[in-house]
Amino acid sequence: MKLLVNKLTKIFVRYFALYRSFLSHNLKNEMIYRANFAINVGMDIFFMMMNVLFFSILYGNVETVGGWTFHQTLILVGSVGIVRELAYLTFRKGFLELGNYVRTGNFDVMLTSPIAPAAHLAFRHVSLTDSLGEGLMGLLLVVYGFLHLSNASWIGIPFYLLMLVNSLVIYYALCLLINSLVFWLVKSQELNTVVYYFINTARYPREIYHGLGKIFFTFILPSSLIATTPAAILVGRANPSLVLISLSVAGGGLILGLFVWNWSLNFYSSASS
Amino acid sequence: MSAIEVSQLTKTFTTHRKEAGLKGSFKGLFSRKPLYKEAVKSVSFSLEEGELVGFLGPNGAGKTTLLKMLSGILYPTSGEARVLSFTPWQRDRAYQRQFSIVMGHKNQLWWDLPPAESFLLNRDIYGVKQIDFQKSLDEMVELLKLKDLLDVPVRQLSLGERMKCELVAALLHQPRVLFLDEPTIGLDVISQEKIRSFIQEYNRLKKTTVLLTSHYMQDVEQLCKRVLVINHGRIAFDGMLSELSQRYIDHKVIKVRFADAQTTTPPPGLEGVEVWDAHHAVLKVKKKEVAHTTQRLLEGYRIEDLSVEEMEIEEVIRRIFAEAPEESLRNRP
Repeated sequence: MKLLVNKLTKIFVRYFALYRSFLSHNLKNEMIYRANFAINVGMDIFFMMMNVLFFSILYGNVETVGGWTFHQTLILVGSVGIVRELAYLTFRKGFLELGNYVRTGNFDVMLTSPIAPAAHLAFRHVSLTDSLGEGLMGLLLVVYGFLHLSNASWIGIPFYLLMLVNSLVIYYALCLLINSLVFWLVKSQELNTVVYYFINTARYPREIYHGLGKIFFTFILPSSLIATTPAAILVGRANPSLVLISLSVAGGGLILGLFVWNWSLNFYSSASS
Repeated sequence: MSAIEVSQLTKTFTTHRKEAGLKGSFKGLFSRKPLYKEAVKSVSFSLEEGELVGFLGPNGAGKTTLLKMLSGILYPTSGEARVLSFTPWQRDRAYQRQFSIVMGHKNQLWWDLPPAESFLLNRDIYGVKQIDFQKSLDEMVELLKLKDLLDVPVRQLSLGERMKCELVAALLHQPRVLFLDEPTIGLDVISQEKIRSFIQEYNRLKKTTVLLTSHYMQDVEQLCKRVLVINHGRIAFDGMLSELSQRYIDHKVIKVRFADAQTTTPPPGLEGVEVWDAHHAVLKVKKKEVAHTTQRLLEGYRIEDLSVEEMEIEEVIRRIFAEAPEESLRNRP
């Protein structure tokens, strides 16, 4: 057991150091194209404002949606922005580039260097700026919403952060599973459009789904857990079963995702020289 | 001990037949006929540690596919391979730390950043200690005269400069096995020569096992004593470069410079004339005819210079490739 812990710690330390190294290289790369950076941030803030406007209009007519008040919903919407930014800071952009890597044969390098290919792909494109506007705006919404809650409790914050990480794992597992198809389909744009729409549905409270829809958005495309679980903890609406389902979906999804991904790698056919 | 052992290695790619035109594309959406191409067919060979072996073959012969299997990029259809006692396609991290692959067509450096940044990243990826990293880097920068290029963004480097940097990036962790796939492709003559000299020197100093693919004969002639010739996925020859000439060359080339101007038509009955003008002649004659032809030339003409040369190795390779029949795609695996 001690050996296993030592081994896992060593792996974690190595991959964290690699992440830091790749992040620093990506930041240097991003700083070369400053205009791109400004456009990205501007676009993100604009779309987040549109989201807030949509919910403001909605809540102008109703008191609650699925039992969630306006300020609670701001936390929900803000959490989606934070998860998205965290995803860009860890793995998301790599998956967006995967189709190009496979089509051109440049994925070769991911299979020959001594890093797990999934981690190499993720770290190669970690981006601080791609979703920075959304992340910052998300954080602002969460803070604003939290300060306007009638029952705000600071104790929920660490659990909220923990469940954000759990949501990130769910998101990653889904990306792994869907993008494993690239080794057959070669192009990944359409696959990532699916992921995009999936994460977009995360801004609605889980309570709006019923019956088969609820099962589908919990276990097949678990978008209903991504923002609802952490937000529910912060606003004091969480129940143990919701947390347990989220943790199980993340754990099970990650194991399944890694298994399918590693198996799919064997079908990579590279490209002619 | 063998560094590389390959036994009956085969790789079959599956593609799909698509009829031309929009109608063909539409039909392809509903039914596609698979086609199978055996890129590598039951290939077996072995390399000793420290050997530098040339892998020759025309485009599409299977050279790159074989290198990709040996570096774990591709899964074989059948057969076995052991490199440094590892099965490459199991992608063991311990194996990945001990080999490197450089592909002339592909850029592994960060495009917008100077090469020095990619080198630092490779140091971290391969877990090279700073002291070893600096020593390796200094050695290679000196050998390749790269000092002034380390801080220039990769996209602003010439192809030759980029290839030198690719080599440095691939060798910083001091691999025991190095696969070089067309490292001189597209380079000018001077850059080709520099890359060749570097590979030669590096192999001599570090005793790295090198498998080099190229269809430039100069690469192989300068660097390799032993060659593997592959054509249509099969090994057509495995042996010393000198043996290759002996086995396939039954002709020699006689080159003559006349002392006086001659008629521009060769004398009747003289065989193998390839060039005959007022001042020069080149004849390709069978080995056993060399003495007789030389004697006839010396008796019949006032000659300023005469040499008997081996046929160029490139010609030999061309013959081997011409001997093997072309194979097409098959409908069955």
